[in-house]
Amino acid sequence: MGVDAISLAVFQHLFASVAEEMGVTLQRASFSPNIKERLDFSCAVFDGQARMVAQAAHIPVHLGSMPESVAHAVQAFDQLRRGDVVVLNDPYHGGTHLPDVTMVSPVFVANRAAFYVASRAHHADVGGMTPGSLPLSTELYQEGIIVPPVKLIEGGERNEGVLKLIAANSRAPDERMGDLEAQLASHRVGERRLLALVDAHGTDRLEEHAVALMNRSRRMTERLILQIPDGVYSFEDFLEGDGQSEGRVAIRATIRVDGARMTVDFAGSAPQVSGNLNAVPAVVHSAVWYCVRLLASSELPVNHGCFEPVKVDVPAGSVLNPDFPAAVAIGNVETSQRIVDTVLGALARALPDRVPAASQGTMNNVTFGGRVGGAPFVFYETIGGGHGGGPEGEGLSASHSHMTNTRNTPVEAIEHSLPVRVTNYGIREGAGGRGRCRGGEGIRRGYEFLAATTVTINSERRTIPPYGLRGGEPGQPGINRLLRDGEAHVIPGKATIQVVPGDRLIIETPGGGGWGEMEEPG
Amino acid sequence: MLVGIDIGGTFTDFAVSENGGLRVHKVFSTPCDPAQAVLSGLDGVTDGDRGVVERVSHGSTVATNAILERRGARAALITTGGFRDILVIGRQTRPELYALQPRAPRPLIPRRWCYDVPERVDSQGRVVMELDLAALDAVLDDIERQGIESIAVSFLHSYVNPVHERAVRRRIRERGLLEGWQIALSSDVLPQFREVERTSTVALEAYVRPVVHRYLRRLEEELPKASVLRVMKSDGGVVSASRARQQAVHTALSGPAAGVIGGFRLAQLAGYDHVITLDMGGTSTDVALCPGKLVQGSQSGIDGLPLSTRLLDIETIGAGGGSVARLDAGGILRVGPESAGADPGPIAYGRGGREVTVTDAHVVLGRVDPGHFLGGATELELGPTRRALRALGSQMGMTAEEAALGVIEVANAGVDRALRRVSIARGYDPRDFTLLAFGGAGPLHACAVAEQLEIPRVVVPPHPGVLCALGLLLADVVLERSRTVLAPLAEAASDHLQGELDEMGAQARRDLMAEGVEEEAIILARLVDVRYRGQSYEMTIPFEDDLAAAFHAAHAATYGHAMTARQVEVVNLRVRATGLVDQPAMSPETVEGTTGVEARIGDKVCVVSGLGAMGVSLYERERFSPGAAFAGPALVFQMDSTVFIPPSWSAQVDGYRNLVLQRL
Repeated sequence: MGVDAISLAVFQHLFASVAEEMGVTLQRASFSPNIKERLDFSCAVFDGQARMVAQAAHIPVHLGSMPESVAHAVQAFDQLRRGDVVVLNDPYHGGTHLPDVTMVSPVFVANRAAFYVASRAHHADVGGMTPGSLPLSTELYQEGIIVPPVKLIEGGERNEGVLKLIAANSRAPDERMGDLEAQLASHRVGERRLLALVDAHGTDRLEEHAVALMNRSRRMTERLILQIPDGVYSFEDFLEGDGQSEGRVAIRATIRVDGARMTVDFAGSAPQVSGNLNAVPAVVHSAVWYCVRLLASSELPVNHGCFEPVKVDVPAGSVLNPDFPAAVAIGNVETSQRIVDTVLGALARALPDRVPAASQGTMNNVTFGGRVGGAPFVFYETIGGGHGGGPEGEGLSASHSHMTNTRNTPVEAIEHSLPVRVTNYGIREGAGGRGRCRGGEGIRRGYEFLAATTVTINSERRTIPPYGLRGGEPGQPGINRLLRDGEAHVIPGKATIQVVPGDRLIIETPGGGGWGEMEEPG
Repeated sequence: MLVGIDIGGTFTDFAVSENGGLRVHKVFSTPCDPAQAVLSGLDGVTDGDRGVVERVSHGSTVATNAILERRGARAALITTGGFRDILVIGRQTRPELYALQPRAPRPLIPRRWCYDVPERVDSQGRVVMELDLAALDAVLDDIERQGIESIAVSFLHSYVNPVHERAVRRRIRERGLLEGWQIALSSDVLPQFREVERTSTVALEAYVRPVVHRYLRRLEEELPKASVLRVMKSDGGVVSASRARQQAVHTALSGPAAGVIGGFRLAQLAGYDHVITLDMGGTSTDVALCPGKLVQGSQSGIDGLPLSTRLLDIETIGAGGGSVARLDAGGILRVGPESAGADPGPIAYGRGGREVTVTDAHVVLGRVDPGHFLGGATELELGPTRRALRALGSQMGMTAEEAALGVIEVANAGVDRALRRVSIARGYDPRDFTLLAFGGAGPLHACAVAEQLEIPRVVVPPHPGVLCALGLLLADVVLERSRTVLAPLAEAASDHLQGELDEMGAQARRDLMAEGVEEEAIILARLVDVRYRGQSYEMTIPFEDDLAAAFHAAHAATYGHAMTARQVEVVNLRVRATGLVDQPAMSPETVEGTTGVEARIGDKVCVVSGLGAMGVSLYERERFSPGAAFAGPALVFQMDSTVFIPPSWSAQVDGYRNLVLQRL
């Protein structure tokens, strides 16, 4: 029995269903709304050489950053043993930013790790300066508990100390415990399922097909790159300050296409900054692969093979490859969006008839917390906005774009459990950039606080608007306002503020850029 | 006479119970006016005397199609001030993760007809801002000018206190704008928290209600006055037509439910209590797990729009007999989700289909026999089918037969994945279950997927193609009432919850009796949706005195762990009132041990997966005597399906004429 079109289809289903079952388990057993309701997690299967074979990802930013975690988990120990589960969140050792807690475990067949399974979930609070662990920090230590690769389970024995240590550093320790348990449950399911596949098909046949599936995705990616005209394409865009100063932070991408190979070089991007928007290379890889994936058809399964034809260069010491212990809290959520904008901007120069204008380019991260009657509360959410217009028509309005796709938390759930009232949640008309195909509209969301609360906002595109293309106009930048005692105060894109009962916060999110020149009236 | 009627895309099926006998009937559907096929079929089974009909239980696709084809009413939505765009924003996600330009499903109610009115009730039900009546009147003025047929009203926290929603209804009635039935309140349709799902559900209700209303009224007028017309809901229960007109959207996902009911009931009758139903039709496959009971799901949607009515927990995948098989850009064989549908259909049907389908693969392997297809009524095009499979095979370096086996194997891999999602992923071991296979294609695939999951037994009912109509005949009347509590269990005194449940139960009992159900036929189930505080999904469990202990146990059974130190929260109270309907008399026939020779019509050489060409015995289903026992490889032909029994499987016809297949 060899590899053919049929067995490939069957094994693709099998590997995908392992990741899928892990995901179902994690979602069902988790506690925090962030995982359960907003689906901010991913699960994946790797082969014995730590190459990704299949994944069930809800969040594009997890797409290309999981392989780093597995590599670090394997490197950190002389040898992983049967029954080990490694946990980590250290961005400088396989993580992305501290709230993303990743687990990696080997699946042993005979005496070797024939496969690995990994899970990543965004935990709503892992300590640090402000509730929600996305602070306006200047070094990693301020962002929460740092977990280098350590064994949470060693040879089947739970290391309760590590579990307790992680939980104790969170503002919501019970919730952390519950979510960590859910991740562990997903690993049990993944391991059991892979071992059943080994029983049914044998390790050789599984590995043979894992390699064939990776080769196939590599060939499909190569074919896709071949369709991009050879050449060098550059684009530059900016972030609006690092939360410490207002200075623009350049992100520059230069794409070199040479036949079936593509290099994305970020030389010319700003040096690392003192604030929180540095991004580690794993995040950069994710954003680049996301852009490549956008060009592919729905039939391209994401695995290691997709990554091979695309080389990513990030200069050391830059905002996209900072030195430890630079702050990275929002590199994952905001800088990643701007990386997409620059890579797509460069691709638009190669493929002007395919690539749409810029989407809102931010996730509008709102975190807040405090205490009511001694009991702590913590909340994190992101707000959608406009998508860029493009050759296929108008941009989508009022939804998440690019590197995230998390759901909103129900207003009724927020008001039930937090001392806040959501006053309004609607479309921000007129935000989309004009053009032949106009950009999508943003969102306007208002909160009224009923208790003293610490609010942290990490938002972008407040001064530099999402770009239009082919003569389309840029979208409207977003704006954050605080209404206090009848007066409106504009709040910077990145800010931590103390609010008192009666204060109102209004977030207006950016519209997407327009595409194509407006047709002359008449 | 009791009749179950299921309207499908091609056929409208009838199951008729009369004088202790059971029979089935089929007519072509009339998609433009579905009632036409229903009535002509009724005339067929009653010989034109509709007066003998005592009860019709009906699976209606009217609401479903109105939504899918966007042919609903001119409906308006009124929300809390500041939340007018709730339908457009939804959960603020895009449907496709990786698309250069993602698209969103088109909302049913255009933004122009979405209105908001200042008012506010907080999460405890306290009015914090009075309803602005002047603003409401201005909205109603505009609605009047727009020629609106129905209005949905959804205010925040109305599940706790519906006072403002009711005030809106009162005002609309005072102004004589619309009839009461044309107004849908979210606190009536779905009194549960989560505003996006509740609002979308009530918007769907307003959108389909006038259409369903007209359709059911027409049917009622044509049926004898003394007969009872009931309609199936998504949760697998039936209700009276008059109630269905007020809960139209509850019928929108009822399509697959009737098959699950029919399959589970037949399996139970035959002595199998732990059942997975496998309904493989032309374009899709539905699977549902019934661990001794029907399992309810909750979160769902239709055509990308959130819909949170109760429904049976059914997993659907886009692979059926008509699914198209092709090599994709990366050289992998794919089956579905594209379908050749009923028209043009598979190549073998000779109606212009050019793409290889799963059915074509079966034809090439000799499993769908030209002489028996649809009782021999339709010719099968063997030549073009074989040529197409040969072409597909040559792309893969294979023979036509190898390619055909591959198409089936890939389709089965998709079914396997769906079966795992309903069983293993939910903590059930498929080895403890019986697979009940139906739909035109289910009995062809059942043994192969059972082998993959080590399911020991497959049961094929006597009429696998009309099981949904039978399910309708057998379905009980089910009414469910729910009330959101959203309070920590420690604070919600058990006797208080009990009191609420008693009150809801009494109301449900009155409702059922109003439906014509006898008091002694009523069964009340008292349920609670509970979760750990901080979780955002609930588990529905039976109400017990020690609710916390029951929840910990249920959580541990489903998710592998319980958190006994955590606070437990009660989200909803539910009462499910079931009115048992008179079941058609079904008793087993006497079983005689035969070898099935009475049904044997010959044999032929077929290619079998992993074994190559071999002799396969051929049987005709209706000629079996109960008790007949034989072994695979075999094909059993019948009008509405074909059963494939692989080598190393045995078959036995039981007293209900089910084919019971077991792995040797």
